Amino acid sequence: MYGGGNTFEGIKTDSLAQEDPQKLAAFEARIARGEKIEPTDWMPQLYRKQLIRMIEQHAHSEIIGALPEGTWITRAPGFKRKMALMAKVQDEVGHAQLLYSAAETLGKSREEMINDLISGRSKYSNVFNYPTFTWADCCFISWLVDAGAIVNQLANAKGSYGPYCRALDRICAEESFHLKYGHHCVIYLASGTPHQREMFQEALNRWWTPMMHFFGPSDKISAHTEILMRWKVKMGTNDEMRNQFLDMYVPKIWELGFTIPDPALKKDPATGKWAYTEPDWEEFKRVINGDGPCNKERLAVRRVAEERGRWVREALKSPKMNYVTPLA
Amino acid sequence: MKSLDPRVQRLPEELPPLQPKAPLDQFGSFEVFVQPKEGKPFQHEGIVHAPSLELAFVLAKEAFTRRFTCTSLYVTDTRNVMVSPTTEGNQNAYDLIPSVTEHQGGEPFEVYHLMKRGKQHLHAGTVEANSHEEAFSKAKAAFGSKQVFNVWVVRRSDIRFTRPEEQDLWLTLPEKKFRDASDYKGGDKLKEFLERQSSKS
Amino acid sequence: MNEQALKEFLYKMADDTLIIGHRNSEWTGMGPILEEDIAFSSMAQDQIGQSLALFTLLHQLGEQEPDTVAFMRNANQFHNCILTELPNQEYDFSIVRHFLYTTSATLRWDMCTHSSYEPLAQLAKKVKGELRYHSLHARTWIQQLGSATEESISRLQRSLELAMPYALGIFEESPFEKELVAQHIFEGEKRLMEKWLSAIEEVLGKTQLVIPDLKLIQPVLGGRKGQHSEHLQPLLDEMSEVFRTEPGAEW
Repeated sequence: MYGGGNTFEGIKTDSLAQEDPQKLAAFEARIARGEKIEPTDWMPQLYRKQLIRMIEQHAHSEIIGALPEGTWITRAPGFKRKMALMAKVQDEVGHAQLLYSAAETLGKSREEMINDLISGRSKYSNVFNYPTFTWADCCFISWLVDAGAIVNQLANAKGSYGPYCRALDRICAEESFHLKYGHHCVIYLASGTPHQREMFQEALNRWWTPMMHFFGPSDKISAHTEILMRWKVKMGTNDEMRNQFLDMYVPKIWELGFTIPDPALKKDPATGKWAYTEPDWEEFKRVINGDGPCNKERLAVRRVAEERGRWVREALKSPKMNYVTPLA
Repeated sequence: MKSLDPRVQRLPEELPPLQPKAPLDQFGSFEVFVQPKEGKPFQHEGIVHAPSLELAFVLAKEAFTRRFTCTSLYVTDTRNVMVSPTTEGNQNAYDLIPSVTEHQGGEPFEVYHLMKRGKQHLHAGTVEANSHEEAFSKAKAAFGSKQVFNVWVVRRSDIRFTRPEEQDLWLTLPEKKFRDASDYKGGDKLKEFLERQSSKS
Repeated sequence: MNEQALKEFLYKMADDTLIIGHRNSEWTGMGPILEEDIAFSSMAQDQIGQSLALFTLLHQLGEQEPDTVAFMRNANQFHNCILTELPNQEYDFSIVRHFLYTTSATLRWDMCTHSSYEPLAQLAKKVKGELRYHSLHARTWIQQLGSATEESISRLQRSLELAMPYALGIFEESPFEKELVAQHIFEGEKRLMEKWLSAIEEVLGKTQLVIPDLKLIQPVLGGRKGQHSEHLQPLLDEMSEVFRTEPGAEW
C-alpha cells in the first residue's frame, strides 16, 4: 500500500549538467518511445537516486503497513475473516519483499534500506502512523487505504523502470483481493447491527483526514516534479490521484449510507473534479516528521523484529554465500 | 510495549540498542522461476535472499507460488546465471554474443529470453555445452533468429528443481479461495441492504 | 462406527491445528527475515484452513457451526495438546515447536489417509501436499540452525528440552483408543508416537542437537481432557474478542 506522500520534496537537477549529453538524450528517447529501462542500462544519477528513494519508501510502507492491520490478526471474527486477514497482511510483507528486490537492482542492498528505515532516515507512508482502535479501522484500511494504493500503483506500473513495473504488476493482481475483501467486510458492517454500523462510521471519521493526506500535499504547495514526470518516475500529480480516488470511492461509501466528515465534499459535474476541504497539511508535516500517534511504536516494533531475528541471520551467514545484486 | 496490538504487548519490554548492520551483511540472492501451467514455459518471477539453495527453494515456494496456478518451481544462485548484454530497438541481443569454437556434447544448460523490455525472462530451451560461453554460442545457433533483448544461461546442475514426489505441493492451491478476489462477492448482501434502506424511507 | 470416538478424535485434531495456526499467525509481520515471515504465515493459514475443514466434518456429524464451535467454547472444552497453546517466545522455540508438532501432524494425517471414516481419508489425501511443505520447511530450518553456530545450536537445544515434555503430550491417549483402532478409524497414539520418534531422530541425527533422554521426561498431559495451561484461556479471549461483542451478528 502506498500513496504519493513526501517522496519528491526538493529535488535538485544540478547533477544533470555533469551527465553525458548523448547518453542522456538516448535515455530520454527510449523512455519517450515507451520502452522500459532495465538495470544494466545507462541512466542518469538523478534517475537512479529518485527511483531508489521512491521504491524504497514504497517497500517500507508495505512492511510498516503490515502492522496496523496486523493489530487485528489474532482477533479477526470467524474462520473466513481470520484466514483472509492473515493472507492480506502476509501479502503486504510479500509486497515489501518484491519491492526491496526491485530497489536492490539499482544498487542499494535490502539491509541498507532496512537500516535506513529503523534509524528513521527514510520515510514511509504517513497513513500507517495512525492507530486501529477497532475491527472497523482494520476494515477501513483493507478497503479504502488499499483502494488509494491501487490508484497509485496502477499509475506507477506504467512507469519507466522495468523491475519496478514487474513488481507492481504482481502487486496489483494481489491487491484486487484486498480491495474486494475490504469492501466485503465493510458491507457486512454497514448491513449489520446498529453497533456494527456505528463502528464503521467512527472509523471513517477517524481515518478521513489521513486518507486525504495519503496522496500527498496539494499540487499548489508540493515540489516541482516536471523532470520526474518526463522520465516516467512519477506518473500523476498528487491532486490527480486524490481526485481519481474520490471519484471511484466516495459514491461507494455514500451508497452504504455513511457520512464522510467533510461538508464541502462534492463533485463539480462540469469539470469532473471533486471539491473538498483541504486537510490540515500542518498535521501531515508534523506526523511525517515523527510526531504522529504511532510513529514511535511502528519503528520500535520493526526494530525489535530485526533484533530478535539477528541471531537467525548471523547463524546462517556463510562466507560462500556473499550478497550479490539481483538480476532483474 | 504499550500498544493496541496484543501481539506487540507481548514483545520484550526493553528496546535493544540499535546496532546498524554492515551494508552487505545479508544472505545471497537466488533467482526464482515458476511454471504456471503444465506445458507452459518456466518464467522468471523474482528473487529471494536465503542462506542456501535448499532454503531458497523452501522460501521461494511461498513467496512466489502461494497464489495463481503453479505446477513447478525452481531456483538457482544468482551468481550461476550468465547474462548477455541488453539491447533495444531492432538490435538482437544474440548479435552481441561472440560465437566460440563449439564441441560436441557437454551438459545441459537452460536458456532464457527477454522478449520485451519490462517483461519477465522466459525459458526458451536447452542446449548441451561444456561452458557458459559455449552455451551462449550454441543458444545463438539454436534460437538466434528470434529478436530478443537479453539472454540468460544457467547450468542445469546448478538448479534446485521441484522433485517428482513434490508435485503435490500445489495440490490445494486452487481451493484456497480466501486468497482470491472472486470469493468476496458482496453484491447480494449490498442489494438486500439497499432495499431495506429504501423501504424504510 | 462409534460416533463418540470419532468425534473425540476429530475434535482433538481440529483444536490442535486451530491453536497452533493461531499461535503461528502471531509472527506475521515480525519474522526474522521477510521470506520466512511469508512462509510461516502461509503455514498458519493452511493450519487454520485444515481446522475449518475438520470442524466442517464435525458439523456434518451434528455438531454446531465451525465458527460457533471455534469462537464460543472456553478452555476446558478444548482438546488440543498443551504444546500448541504455549506462547511463541523467541523464534528458536517457535521453530522447534513447529518441527515437533508438524512432524507429528504429517504422520497423523498420513495415517488418516487409511481411515475407515471415508470423509477423513479424503481430506487427509487432499492436504498431503500442504503437510509435505510444512515438513520440508521445518526439516530444512532445523537442519540448518541445528548445525550452524554455537549460539543457534544452544538456543535450539534449550528449546528442544523445554518443548519435549509437552511434545510427548501430543500422544496422550483418548478414552476411545481401543474403539478407534478396532474400527480402523485411526491406528492409535502409540503407533503414531513410534513413527514420530524415528522421524525426529532421523532429522536431529543430522544436526548437533541431542534428543533429551525420554525415560527421564515426565510428559505433560491433560490437554486432551480439557485441562490446559494458564495460556489457553487468554488466547481464546483474544481470538473471540470481536466475535463475542455482538451475539448473532455477521462479520
